[in-house]
Amino acid sequence: MFIKDIIKELAILLGLAVVTAFAVNALSPKGIALFGEWDTARGVITARPKDDVVARELEMGDFEAVKEIYDSGAAVFVDARSDEDYSRGHIAGAVSLPVSQAEALMDNFKMDYPAYQMIITYCSGRECEDSHILAQLLLDVGYTDVRVFVDGYPCWEKEGYPVEKSNAVPQ
Amino acid sequence: MLRIIFLGITKSLGKRAFSDSLLELIVRLTLGVVFLFACYHKITDPARFAKVIYGYGLFPASAINLIAIIMPFVELYAGLALVLGIYPRAGAVAVNTMLLAFIISITINLIRGHEFDCGCFSFGGSVHISNMQLLVRDVILFLMGLDVLLFNQGRMWCIRQGR
Repeated sequence: MFIKDIIKELAILLGLAVVTAFAVNALSPKGIALFGEWDTARGVITARPKDDVVARELEMGDFEAVKEIYDSGAAVFVDARSDEDYSRGHIAGAVSLPVSQAEALMDNFKMDYPAYQMIITYCSGRECEDSHILAQLLLDVGYTDVRVFVDGYPCWEKEGYPVEKSNAVPQ
Repeated sequence: MLRIIFLGITKSLGKRAFSDSLLELIVRLTLGVVFLFACYHKITDPARFAKVIYGYGLFPASAINLIAIIMPFVELYAGLALVLGIYPRAGAVAVNTMLLAFIISITINLIRGHEFDCGCFSFGGSVHISNMQLLVRDVILFLMGLDVLLFNQGRMWCIRQGR
């Protein structure tokens, strides 16, 4: 009887937890979808929250196509990672605009690059959404041609494409 | 286990300062508060918690969001059950089931050398402890849960003990 009683109590506790969990998730602005997108083959992973920043239409999953744009010089590459990561190594010629400081640095960035400038953001690969957050911020301030290089710096470095390191972070 | 160790120490010191019920209350409140504290950041940022679960590399994609939605509330209700003394045995079973899952997950990742963010009390590893320390901490909490579950005397500060 002892175990039967505990099972009953547990059923009440878990029932309350499940009902509350789905109710809060449905009502909260931070709620997430019942199923996320966790397959890196499809792009940057996301739990698909209501305020999701991952926009598939901005993603460039073909790193060779990204390299072609890089070689053409048509785009500015913008690094969304931290200052420390940028200093340790970044795509040669990329501009640092860490997500955590992006709003503060945006005015200077806007003075340097016009709104029609093609911008490609990147971070640490398909498990990192900072490139998407930065892309949204750039779109919000008026940039019209923003894309996300989903494989980011690890892929670029692995492919042997041009990289550089810096002690001082350019602003 | 904890009770035996604690009572052994107090007896050997010759001053049994706490009764069994008081010790159970202290263990239960501590465990409850730990889980109430642990659920807060997971409830306020489920997307980040889902990413932490993904980072463990153990769960099927279809289960990640459901775990992220439900588990923090199991922690919440289990914590409340322990602190308020409403069905404390069920609270202890829930807490120990989760702790057992954490212990197994951490052990598997330790064995295969997989790096992960615990996500236990914050995201991003602001409190730096090793995976082995994590494991020891969870085992201690598990023993505390057993102590609450197997306690068979009158409990202090217990609104609804259950039959």
